[in-house]
Amino acid sequence: MKTRLRELRAERGWSQAELAERLGVSRQTVNSIETERYEPSLSLAFRVAALFGATVEQVFQPTT
Amino acid sequence: MDNRRPLRSLHPMLLWGFPLWAGTYFAVRVWLEGNPGGPEGMSRILVALLPLPFFLVMLFGLVTEVRRMDEMHRRIQFEALAVAFPVTLVLIMTLGLVEVAQPLDARNWSFRHIWPFLVLAYSIGLAFAMRRYHAE
Repeated sequence: MKTRLRELRAERGWSQAELAERLGVSRQTVNSIETERYEPSLSLAFRVAALFGATVEQVFQPTT
Repeated sequence: MDNRRPLRSLHPMLLWGFPLWAGTYFAVRVWLEGNPGGPEGMSRILVALLPLPFFLVMLFGLVTEVRRMDEMHRRIQFEALAVAFPVTLVLIMTLGLVEVAQPLDARNWSFRHIWPFLVLAYSIGLAFAMRRYHAE
């Protein structure tokens, strides 16, 4: 799954730790999502999308 | 939230439960093995059960720690246990079969020798899962 998480985070000038704090997850989890090593659950994906004021599809795209 | 927390931030029931349980376990084991002719019957069994309350304390702390983890770290723990549990089960069943086939010397071959393999399989599973999900 592709993600724009790093790009969206950079736009807001947040560190991984800051984003992790806002999402209630660890910094390692944010890092693993950004590097596409870990695919978040639907609930976390919705939390991420809501935080950036976007839809899930705008943050995460399935790899074809 | 950061899962690389200092040891002292662990749940106190885990932090104190583990050394108390491990210490009591080895003390009881050494005492029981060193005193085969000591107290008999029920009192010997009660001594063997002494580590159990400390284990329950540790277990409560452990479950609390898992509940504190985020979803990725729970997944990592799950994958580590998914390796450790079947490996240990197979070892126990194999030892059981071998014991049926040939009576074994309990000093060298017994179910109490299985737990180090559980720790080993869990550690291997944990290393693989962390390697898979952790980018750093």
